[in-house]
Formats: sequence, structure tokens, C-alpha cells
Amino acid sequence: MAARRTRTPTRNRAAREFVSEVEEILERMRSELADLADARSGGRLDPDLANRLFRSAHSLKGLAGMFGFEGMSELAHHLEDVLDGLRMGRLAPDAPALDLLDEAVELVAGLLERGEGDDVAAAQASIHDLIERIAASLASAPAASADGGLEGVDPALLRALTEYEEHRLRDSVQQGRTIVLVEASFDILAFEEGLSELTGAVRDVGEVISTLPAPGDSPDSQIRFSLLVACDCDADALRARIDVPGATVRTLRGGVARAPQPESAPAEAARAREPGAELESLKSISETVRVDIRKLDELMNLVGELVIQRGAIGAIAEQLLADAATAKIGRELGKIHKLLERRLGDLQAGVLEVRMVPLRQVFEKLSRVVRRLQRDVGKDVRLEIRGGDTELDKLIVEQLADPLMHVVRNAFDHAIESPAERSAAGKPGEGVIRLDAFQRGNHVVIQVSDDGRGIDVAAVRAKAERLGLVAADDVTLTRKQILDLIFAPGLSTSAEVTETSGRGVGMDVVRENVTALGGIVHVESEVGRGTTVSFTLPITLAIIQALLVGVGDQRFAIPLTSVLETLLVDPAQIQRSEDREFVNLRGEPLALRRLHSEFGLAAPAPSARQAVVVLGLGDARVGVLVDRLEGQQDAVIKPIQGPIRSVRGIAGATELGSQGTVLVLDVAALVEDGGKRREAA
Amino acid sequence: MSAGAVRLEGGGVEASHDASPRARFERLARAASGNASGAEESAPECELLVLWLGDDPYALPVERVREIVRLRSITPIPRVPEAVRGVLSLRGEIVQVIDLRRRLGLPPDTRENPRRRIVVLGGEDGQMTGVLVDRVSEVLRLREDALRPPTERDSTAVTALAPQGERFVSVFDVDRILDLGADA
Repeated sequence: MAARRTRTPTRNRAAREFVSEVEEILERMRSELADLADARSGGRLDPDLANRLFRSAHSLKGLAGMFGFEGMSELAHHLEDVLDGLRMGRLAPDAPALDLLDEAVELVAGLLERGEGDDVAAAQASIHDLIERIAASLASAPAASADGGLEGVDPALLRALTEYEEHRLRDSVQQGRTIVLVEASFDILAFEEGLSELTGAVRDVGEVISTLPAPGDSPDSQIRFSLLVACDCDADALRARIDVPGATVRTLRGGVARAPQPESAPAEAARAREPGAELESLKSISETVRVDIRKLDELMNLVGELVIQRGAIGAIAEQLLADAATAKIGRELGKIHKLLERRLGDLQAGVLEVRMVPLRQVFEKLSRVVRRLQRDVGKDVRLEIRGGDTELDKLIVEQLADPLMHVVRNAFDHAIESPAERSAAGKPGEGVIRLDAFQRGNHVVIQVSDDGRGIDVAAVRAKAERLGLVAADDVTLTRKQILDLIFAPGLSTSAEVTETSGRGVGMDVVRENVTALGGIVHVESEVGRGTTVSFTLPITLAIIQALLVGVGDQRFAIPLTSVLETLLVDPAQIQRSEDREFVNLRGEPLALRRLHSEFGLAAPAPSARQAVVVLGLGDARVGVLVDRLEGQQDAVIKPIQGPIRSVRGIAGATELGSQGTVLVLDVAALVEDGGKRREAA
Repeated sequence: MSAGAVRLEGGGVEASHDASPRARFERLARAASGNASGAEESAPECELLVLWLGDDPYALPVERVREIVRLRSITPIPRVPEAVRGVLSLRGEIVQVIDLRRRLGLPPDTRENPRRRIVVLGGEDGQMTGVLVDRVSEVLRLREDALRPPTERDSTAVTALAPQGERFVSVFDVDRILDLGADA
């Protein structure tokens, strides 16, 4: 055991806080930048979006400054300049500007990842380089648009506006929008709600340029606001939408009738999708809580212990019920036990739900990578994303980023052909990589597909034979099994296969990472048509329904989500092929594994019929021979602490109250090993 | 839920052990005194938990000991080095248990022994490990400069000898006991 995790010394609590907060800001900025890239097609910028980005950069600056990361803080300051330029219309939201922003976010992320490290000088150099480029791009930007166009607006009001608000006002006037002043009074105790309702109503048809407290003789219990609004309809239409008693709408400048602008459509659509999303500032801060996931783990542990105690109560109820003298009280206790069970189920589900995050975060990262690759390599590839709302345990999502990135990069670098090759093959010049995520039962499936050149099965097989992974005369291997060989260590790192088959390197690492999460990875491919890599993952690692099985004098728990069925087979039904055993399951051969020999346990007494647990993960199946089936249990899977960091085939352990500690089988490992030749134990 | 609150701590590699028994001895002395720099002039005290394997006393630095529990049912675990007896549940945490006799290559003692204990050790990384011993007797407090280097240069797990009355107690280097890599 060479590697042992050590805790970073001292001040790590504050540092962790800092890191997690900056990460959160970066995550937000990435998603905002992605939106910005999507929405800029019309050459116009969604002002809300630019504002949100600006605020994010501002928070980053403050945070970095507070912790003394001057380089980071300075960089964030320059980011603010760029974003200010964008929202003030001084900078066009074009590719170079977006690239600068992307680059800055990644630079900060990189600094965070590596820490200060030993490369302080290099980090500072790259920061300064970027800052200089930002300054250069700002210097070359055209000067702010000329004054004028604001005649008719009360100068007192104008004085109250910030530079940005004034810019928005001017811009709106130039676009010929109607400028109105909406005034309304609210009860001082509940004004936030009323104001956000009003703002929301206005935003359906226009833009709130500024919200100002309005002077006036309102009673003490009231507070009055004026909203400076630019809208595409006239004042009457706006008035009709406002449902606040006593609100007034006054036109400051009439609009110019014009055709609806298609450019603004994406922004409107975005608004329609997330109602109230732009009322963030105060509210979102007070309504979300950042929680260290370890605290959730602790909660989950507690729930797990309650579940065990619940089981004990159930057992007592059964005992009481069995005796006529105590049956009545037993029935009562049984009822309470049932209720407790239901509530505990809700509690479990609640805690689990809190751990869930949508895959969108990871998908956005990937789409950024593809954009960057596109720019660097000059390959025309479109990334299509579906199912970004699919949710997975936060820990799994984190661990998934690298393997997914790897597969997407492979698709980009190796699978998608050059434009010339593509047109020769009669394909559109633009390649497509598709990310799909969906839930299937208790698992989530993520697929990365491309329409590239596909994998040449014969080339993979030839290479595998040369490496001795496969015997030349082995005709039992299916096409699928050969394809899966790209996950074998020696093979996937081979440049030869990369060139001849268009599939890349490091797939063994991908499989290793996915397996560590209790998942499985598969590949399907057709030459000339493309390749699909599928990841099948459990939704959570925290709590499972388990099937208890007995082998010799030991018991194991198997996650029920992976159990397809259980069978009883006659020993005579078990067939042998070379050193492998299988059984005919409704016309299909099902590979068998014996836990006794897998784990070196005492061989069972021969019995008339043997129990087989059929495990399935993704498309793979394997039957596990056990001595006894011992029923179902809720189980909290815990990692096994101690010097041995991992045992192939064991995912963890669980405590089952009076029944002691039981090892949990790693189904992914069992299924995967099932497809391989058995190694000498 | 909010994003970004999870930060997995990277798997740093602990500094390699010094090769010479002398250096290891000094390392232990520093660790036992809780004085990382070792710069203090007056020799500090160290506290050692004395445990027994048969008739021989051994000791572990007290600050690595989390608790001592009675022997209870241990669930065997496959595909691990022989020294690992299995796992047990300790208030919800699942920890591996190392049989110290097996770890040191001593003959097994199959006699009934109600004094058998599991000493639970904590690592710097928060990971716990149980160590099965024949019995635990006391905590020995002594000045660090009373420690002597082990007699054998190639001793695998003993890092110092601590005088107690007429005899010496063999003091373990916890990290070496827990390092099953070479023997796995």
C-alpha cells in the first residue's frame, strides 16, 4: 500500500470553503457562458445574462481578494471590465470575447485545481498574459455610443440611473421600444413579494431597466417604487398585465411600431422556461443552502441505523404476535412498525434526493471542451445534448466527468473523419457527437455516440491476438466481446488500433473509473456509421435494497437493482465449455460463476438443486451460483476502512443489526469478470 | 441541491519511510512526543499502550489509538492478505481487522482467551483499522530519551525498545504494521 491519503494540513477548513465557493462561482459562470454562446447568434446580448455574469465575476473578485489570491482577484477584475464592455455594448459578444472569458474561467479553475503549487511564477505569467490580452481587446473596442435620444426623460430620473442603466435606456430608445414608468405601493412588510410579482409581470413584455424607490406621500406602512421599463408593447397593453392595486403606468417615450425582432427570441424563450429565475439576487441566496456532502453521508448513516432498529422492532412485533397472550399488543406494535417503515422510507428518499444533481453540469463542461477543440483543431463537429436533466448522485457525477471527457475527446480526435473523408463517404461535412442521458429502472444510462468512421472489429481482433489477449483459434468470441476488448489495457493504448480503427487511448482507465462507481461501460460500433459508448450507472451509491445470499457459512448482500431474477437449477442442467460453466436460460446461454471458487470459500455440500442469482448490468448478464437465498433487506453500503483499499468483487459492507456485518458484492466486477477468461485464483 | 460543495481530497502519497532503524526510531520518538520539529530541548514524554502477544510485551503510541474493543464477530473477507482477519462494524463504520500474530508471522494461539482485544487505530487520513491482540495491559509513560533503538537492524515493524522495569517493550511503528503492501 504505497499510496495513503493524507489530509492537507491546517487552514484547510477555510481553504475548503474557499475552494468550494470559487468552484460554485466557476460552475455558474460556465453555465452562463454556455448560455451566452448559444444566445449570441443574433448579435444581440441578453442583458440579464450579461448582468449575471458580471455579478459572478464580481463575487469571484471579492472572494479571491479576501483570501489574498491577488492574481486571481486581478484577473476577475479584468473579467469585470470585459463583461462591463459587453453589457454596455462597447464590446461585441463575438467569438474572441467569449474565448477570453472561457479562457479566464479555465485559468482560475486550473489555479484552483493545482493550488499554489510550485509553479507560482508560471501561473502568474499566464494570468498576466491573459490580462494583457483582455486589456488589448478592450482598447481596440469602439468608444461608447454617442449621447442623445433621451429627450423627454426627467433629468432627475436620469441622474438616479447608473451608467449601465442609462446605457440600457439609450439602447432601448434606439431600438424604438416604448419607455414607461410604472409606479406602485406595497405593504412594507411584504413588499419583496409584491415587487417581484410586479417585476415578473413586466418582464413578460419588456425589460426592467431600473427599480427606484419613489418619493411620495405614502403612509408609513407602505413603500413606493418606480420601475423604469422598456417594452415592445404600448402602455395600455402593459397596464393590462399588471395586477397590483394602485399601480400607475405613465409613458415617457412612445415606441416605434416595428416587426417583432427574431433576435430577442432565445432570451424570451429562456425566460419563459424558468419563470422567476431572474428575481435571483436576494431571494436565491436565502433559499439555497450549500451543504458539504459528507454531512449528507452522516445523515444517510443515521437513517441507515434507524432502518436497522426499525427491523428490530418488526422482529419484536412478530414475536409478540406469535404468542396468544401478547398477540393484541403485538398487533398494535406491528401497526406502529408499518407506519415507521413508511416514514423512514420517505426520509431515506428525501435525503437521497438532496444528493441528486442533474448531469447538465458535466454536459456543459463537455460542450465547452468540444467548442475549444473545434477552435483549436478546426474540425467541424456539432455536439448534441439530450437528457441533461437526468439526475445522479453528486459523487457519481463528479467522478464521471473525466471518463466522459475522455470518450468525447476520443470521438472528436479519432472517430470523426476529416471533412474530405466525410464527403468522400457521402456524409455531411459537419460531424455529430451526441450525448444522451436517460433513466432505465434504477440505473442511469449515458451514451456518447458519434457518426464517425466506426471501429474495425477485425483490426481489434488481430491486435488482440498479437497481444495474446485472445487465442487465434477462439471462435467463441462474439462481435460484442471483441469490441469490448478496446477496454483491455494493452489494446486501448495501442496507436495501431487508433489509426486503423479510429478508436483512442486510455479506454482501460475509463472502464476502471466507471467500474469503481459500480457501473459498466459498453461499446457498439459499425464501420462507416459510427460508434456508441454506453455507461450504465447506479443512481446512488448510498442506500440499496439488497438480496441476501448464503455461501458456505458466509453471507453476502447483492444490490437488488442488479438482480434480474433468481432460479433453481438442477446440477445436470449446468453445462461446461472449456473451463467455463453456463446454463440454458430460456434458449440463451447464461454464464455461471461460483462464489465459492471466486472467493476461495469452502465448497458446498452437493444438493439436489442450486440457487442461481441472475445479475444484469447494461446488456451484460451473469448467473451466480449460491447455496441459499435468504431474503431482502435495506442496506446502507459503507466503504471498508483499513489498509486494503479495494477488493475485486466486493463493493463494501453493510451492517444488518443482529445479523452482523455482511459484505456487499460488486455486481459490475462480477459481470465484467464473467466476460473474461477466469484468472488463476 | 447546491453544486460544488463536494471536494474530494486528492490521494497524496505519504513521505517514504526512512530506511535506517535509527531514523525510524527518531521519527517515532518525535511522533510519540507530538513534537513534529523535535527541536525542544528537554526530552518530552511519550505515552505507549502496552499489549501482549503470548508472553511478549509490545506497545503502540497512544495518540494513534482510537479505542479498544472486545473481540466480537469478524466477517471474513476474500482476496486479501492472510494478516487481514476480516471486517467488523464499529458504530456504523466498517473497519478491517488485522491479526497481529499473523502480521508478524507468529504462530496462532487457538486457546480460548477472554482477554483478547481489538485495538482500533486511526490514520491521519481518518481511516480506522482494528488490530487483534492477545491482551492489553496498561499505558506506559516515559521520557522519549529513554527509548532505545531495536536490536535487529532489519526488524520489520518494531521501531524502538522502551524500558519497563526489568524488561523492554517492543514499540511498533503503526504505519509499518498497517503497510501490508510488501506482504500482500
